[in-house]
Amino acid sequence: MSAWARTKQWNTFTRIWHLFDATWQNPIDCAETIGLYLKGMYKPIYHPMSDCGDHVVVINTKKIAFPGQDWRWRAYYHHTGYAKGASYTRAWELHDKDPTLIFKKAVYSKLGNNLQRRYTMQRLHLFADEKVPEDIMKNITNQIRPIKIVPRTLDTYSQEEIKSFPKIFDYPKDYIIR
Amino acid sequence: MLLIVLPNLQEEVVALYSCSRKKYREYHRFFSPLLKQLKRRQIIAPPPINHRNTYLEWNYEAELYSFGKRLGEEFDNELLRQALMQRSYLKKLEEEQKRVGIEVSSNENVDNVCMIPKGEEILQNFTLLYLRHILPRFPEEGIQSIKDHLMSEETLSHVCFHIGASELILCEDFPVEKSTLNSTMKALIFALHESSGLERTSVFIRDFILTQIAELDINDLWNIENPIETLNTICRNEDVDLPEPRIVGDSGVNTILALYRVGLYINKKLIGLGSGESIKIAHEMAASDALRRLFGTAEHQLNIPFNLVLNPKIKSEPNLGVKDWCEKRVQERIKQTLSLNE
Repeated sequence: MSAWARTKQWNTFTRIWHLFDATWQNPIDCAETIGLYLKGMYKPIYHPMSDCGDHVVVINTKKIAFPGQDWRWRAYYHHTGYAKGASYTRAWELHDKDPTLIFKKAVYSKLGNNLQRRYTMQRLHLFADEKVPEDIMKNITNQIRPIKIVPRTLDTYSQEEIKSFPKIFDYPKDYIIR
Repeated sequence: MLLIVLPNLQEEVVALYSCSRKKYREYHRFFSPLLKQLKRRQIIAPPPINHRNTYLEWNYEAELYSFGKRLGEEFDNELLRQALMQRSYLKKLEEEQKRVGIEVSSNENVDNVCMIPKGEEILQNFTLLYLRHILPRFPEEGIQSIKDHLMSEETLSHVCFHIGASELILCEDFPVEKSTLNSTMKALIFALHESSGLERTSVFIRDFILTQIAELDINDLWNIENPIETLNTICRNEDVDLPEPRIVGDSGVNTILALYRVGLYINKKLIGLGSGESIKIAHEMAASDALRRLFGTAEHQLNIPFNLVLNPKIKSEPNLGVKDWCEKRVQERIKQTLSLNE
């Protein structure tokens, strides 16, 4: 194999490092997208038997969002293996214990039951906040677009922005705002 | 399937196999050990390979005639016979005649020894002519290495074997060795030249030998030792700034699977892009890519035509060497060759 062919192969099968910001994102929906990147399914060369998956670094897993009452009603099952060993943990309880665990379990279950699953999971790097070690940060060359647009909360608007915001109507002069 | 594997033990196996099939629904207990035994015997003493001429219905005259017809060429019968006659065969024949007591008649000019260098010359001239015509921008060093590949023993013996000449060659070695096939191919080319003329021979060479490069990357045949320095030399010839390397992209820098992509720029214009596991290798590959683009052998540029009919009598001038290569001179040369062919 010539040097040219070798580097072409190297370039084609290189592992790309992606960054994903989990702020205000539903982990169940994100898991599907992140799974595609972990398995390399977005590549034209993809084949289940070719090792072409990428790395994904997920930050801010502490800030994930569940719709409706999911924080209360979503339960994570665990069994110790002994009699009466079953336990059900609420999502909010689990999130208090480890803020990366809900995201991890979501991706793990979306990857499908096969022998490659645990090796694919090793390419997922989860961080509760924005603090990522510098050596990992240097590898990253791409950012995955968030699934949902992150809305701005009212407290992030400055006073000037609030004042210049277009109003639909003016209050009458004698109206008293309490 | 079994019978194909073990042709020498056909009858034995047929009897046992059919017996076991008739009497029982399943294979007999003895069947597996028997197969093992037969396989073992075959490994110890494989069946001999016989030359085709040991078969009953072998007709050398008819085979010679149909050889030319198969290729769609008109061979002179005597010349074809001579081209397929190796000296080793004649020597063996002489010895046998001496042993029996027959007086040996002189066998000069019956074998193909005198035909080989002449055929080689025809082959070389036309190969160079065609390569220089289809790759006018490729340096002469590269053209020579492609020619060397095409005229190597490996390529010529491969072609000679697959046009079906190996059974017709009269030689002592069996199975026929590569060197014999190689020399016979050259002799065949000369025989065709004498029978049907140079034009027909050039078409034969084009169709059977030049097409061997179709599946190869011709850049692999010529290894440029130092592409960066070579590119700099060409830039100096062109009188432009030396190319400036820049890192265009990278991924996984802190891992052992690091990838770097380097682009080469002249006046902010990309001339070559390369990738590799280190910056140095990526730089070299970028230079190599730039050279390919200049020489017209990059993947998107290379589409070698194998249907051109060139005048084989033209004496082709060598292409520019790497050290003299520049765009202006190449264009001049292309104009010259075009006017020659018209």
